[in-house]
Formats: sequence, structure tokens, C-alpha cells
Amino acid sequence: MRMSRINIWALGSSMARLLSPTDKAGFRTAAASYLPLVTLLFCSALLPANAEESAEPSQALRFEGYPNAPTVSVVPRKDELFFYPCDQCHAAMEPNPEIRPLNAMHDSALEHGRGRIWCTSCHDLENRNFLTTLLNELVDIDEAYLVCGGCHANRHKDWSFGAHGKRVANWQGDRTLYSCPHCHNPHSPAIKPRAPKPAPPVRAGLRLELGIEHEKSAIWDSREEHEDQ
Amino acid sequence: MSNGGSNFDKARRNFLRGLGMGTAAVAARPAWGGETFQDAFADFFQKDYRRMSAEEIAAALERIERKAKSRYDVEIDCQNTPPQQGVVYGYAINISRCKGYRDCVHACVKENNLGRDSQMQYIRVLQLDQGDFDLEHSDHYYDPETVPVEGKHYLPVQCMQCDDPPCVKACPVEATWMEPDGIVVVDYDWCIGCRYCMAACPYWARHFNWTVPEIPAEEMNTNTHYLGNRPRPRGVVEKCTFCIHRTRKGQQPACMEACPTGSRIFGNLLDPDSEIRYVLANKQVFRLKEDLGTEPKFWYFSD
Repeated sequence: MRMSRINIWALGSSMARLLSPTDKAGFRTAAASYLPLVTLLFCSALLPANAEESAEPSQALRFEGYPNAPTVSVVPRKDELFFYPCDQCHAAMEPNPEIRPLNAMHDSALEHGRGRIWCTSCHDLENRNFLTTLLNELVDIDEAYLVCGGCHANRHKDWSFGAHGKRVANWQGDRTLYSCPHCHNPHSPAIKPRAPKPAPPVRAGLRLELGIEHEKSAIWDSREEHEDQ
Repeated sequence: MSNGGSNFDKARRNFLRGLGMGTAAVAARPAWGGETFQDAFADFFQKDYRRMSAEEIAAALERIERKAKSRYDVEIDCQNTPPQQGVVYGYAINISRCKGYRDCVHACVKENNLGRDSQMQYIRVLQLDQGDFDLEHSDHYYDPETVPVEGKHYLPVQCMQCDDPPCVKACPVEATWMEPDGIVVVDYDWCIGCRYCMAACPYWARHFNWTVPEIPAEEMNTNTHYLGNRPRPRGVVEKCTFCIHRTRKGQQPACMEACPTGSRIFGNLLDPDSEIRYVLANKQVFRLKEDLGTEPKFWYFSD
């Protein structure tokens, strides 16, 4: 598994603290117990150094899927995004992790999560063009379903097997799926009510009378009674 | 003598001219509706689809194309794509995601060349009270400002493609049957319009064609199938064929492609890796009027 930059820094700073001359005595006393850990940290610090060089969109995280899950390709969505790449503006702006009402450009209200999540729960603070998972892994915008799956695991599994979401064009052959944000606005995911298409015409010779209280079979009343008990 | 002879010749000429004009008039605008005499003759003696030879089917397809040209002024392509080996189609609808938009209904009308002024639609979306499954008191004429209406749920119904179809048993002329891929089809040229199958169907999936379908030329779907969406004659019973002209080529049915919610799941029941098999194995599915034992290949589920 790849390490993200945030992990790299965390590890790097702990390494520095452990190896710093001011803390030498502490290091020595704890040396025996820390030795395996230090070795591990050192190795893992080497790994991301390579990964950091190749942190390009094409190298973004790959989800291997569930056991026996079919291979699917996902419809890209970057071209539909008005503000993408985010770097256009954010390259010149200082990252600000503080939770605050946003002004201009972005919707001030984040309906998703009802206050439990914030921009940086999904968007990476440092790499503005990327998303981030709960494990702080960088995710390309076109692979947003990896981020969604972090919380909505059941839906994500259904989606990858074809029981949720929408397949493109064919039932046979290669599977191409729409990604989560094609249907669900990530910032306000509930589907909004919409006008229906016209109602069917009434059969010739018949008259449509709405709002008639038809007599109902007693079986439905008994069901309600059953619920009351 | 010579006078009489010339009179006779004149009368004969007039008679022949009249005959000639008569046939010319027939060729220009025949009484049986825009076909040549040969086509009408061949139509009359056309056999049941299952008894026709390959050549006879090819000739029938060409006649259908010519008829569409003369009636609607559209060049259609009528095929008889055979069923695929090892495929039986199944359908599932997620009723917790269906919002009652009716996009499927109108996509179906367009795809299957249904008459725009007739009252026929293969799909009905029923509106039911939440927690209620009383089909007899459902409303399919609902027309609010926006859907879904609070406290209601929606249930699209169409042909269930039963595996033991009562409509097929009811047909007195064997104009309807189940294809090897599980689709119940009608030979619209063999149907006599008795409507016994409509009475036999417990799902209101069969509809009688009271008029010649009125289809604007520019909206005609030219990709057609003999057993499916070709322009039908008047006075026959029609039904959903899971878009036989699309699905046999690997495409989705039009209703599924049109559904913006992704409630509709279609696939091969014999393929253990298909979406439909995943749904059947992992979701709480049910079928309508299952107790009738018609074995519909159409499931509903909610999640």
C-alpha cells in the first residue's frame, strides 16, 4: 500500500524527534525497545520518497475491488467540472484547515454529512487537485467513488457489482459505470424532487376522476391493526 | 359490316382503356393501403413466423420495410436477430430508488414506435401509499408538480416475461410464444386480435392496438425487429419484448437506458457474474402475484 504525504511528514518528524541530539538520553534508554520500530519507520520513510516523486494523477490510488468483483471502467467527469483544476485559484492561496463558512465560489452550505464532515474530509488540503480518503490516500477526482466508498461501503459494494448506480449503454460485454458524483452532487447528495413526464391518457370512453376513496379490502385494515399491537 | 366492326372495335378499345385506367388507379392508390398487389397477396398468404423458411422471412422483412416506406415515408431497417445462445433475460427494479419520473414510459413509446395518439403504453408506473401494496387501488394517472410525493412509493409494471406464460396458453392461433431467450413475443402478422391473451395476463402487460399507430416520420425508430418494434398493423395485441431489437445485440432495453435513477437492472440469468444474479443472490427480491405460478422473470427489491 502506498503512503500519502501526510503520513510521510508524520513519520519524518517522529524520526527527527527520536534522533535529535537534545533527546539523546531518552533515545538511548528507549533504544532497545524502539529499535525494531525505528527500523520500520526508516524503511517506510524511504518508500514514500519514491512515491512522492511519482505523485502524478496517472499514479493515483487504484482500488482493487472486492473479491470476485467484475472489472469495470468508470466514466470520467473532470471535463464537466467548471472549477477544475482547483489549483487555478488555490495555488496562490494559503491552505486554511480552519472550519469556517466559505464565501464566494463555493456553496456556503455543505448538506452532505449534516455538519459532521468538512471540505478537507474529502479534498486534500495540500494537493488541491486531489481528493483524500480516510486513510489520507490521494485520490484522483475521476476516482471519487473511492472516497465515497470510505463511508458508504455497502452502497459502494453494490455499485461495483451492479446493484446500485447506472451502467452505460450495454448489458453485455465491457462494463462502464457512471461514478457516484454523476448522480449525487457530492456536496448535497440527496436526489432532488423533479417534475414527472406526462401522465398516460385516459382510455377512450372512460373518465378520469381523481381523489375517489375506493373501498379497500379488509386485509389492509388488519395489517394496520397488527402494527398497532 | 365495316361500321359495326368499327363500333365493336371502339367499344373494345374503350373497355380496354377503362380497364387500363382502372389498373393505373389501383397502382397509384390501392384500396388496401399503399402496397403493391404482390405485397398484399404475399401478406395474405404469409405463414406463422416459426413456420417460415429463411427466404420467406427475408421477403416478409422487405415487405415490412416497403410498407413502412409507403405508410410513414421512412426507410426502416427490419431485422430478425436470433436469440443468443446461453442467454435468458431477467429484469429487476429497485423500488426504493424509483421516483416515478416516467422517463422509462416515454422512452419506451419512442423506442417501440407506439402510436402517439393511441392510449397504449407498455409500462405503467403505479403510485402507492407507503407501506401499502394494494395494486388494485394504485394510481397510474398521478400528475403532481414534483415526484416523489411524500408518503407515496412507485412501482413500474410492464410485461414480466413469465416463464410459464398464461397468455401463450390462451392464444387460439399460436401467434404468441416464448423465445429461447425467455422473451414472450407476438407474431403481429399472425395475431387475429381476439384478445384472449389480454384476459389471461394477470399483469395488464398486453394491450390492444385499436388504431394504426400514428408516428411522426422524424420520430420513427428505424432500428426494428420483426417480433418487436416494427410498425404494427391495426387490430393486434402488442406487448413489451424487453426491446428485443436492442437486447439481442447486447444493448440495454430503452427503459433501462432512460431511467435516470438506475433503478432498473437487466441481464443474463444464466451468467453467474451478471448484475441481475448479484441482485437475486444478495437482495430481498419479490415478484408480483407470485402465487399465480406464472414464474415471471421480473423481480422487485428495495434496499
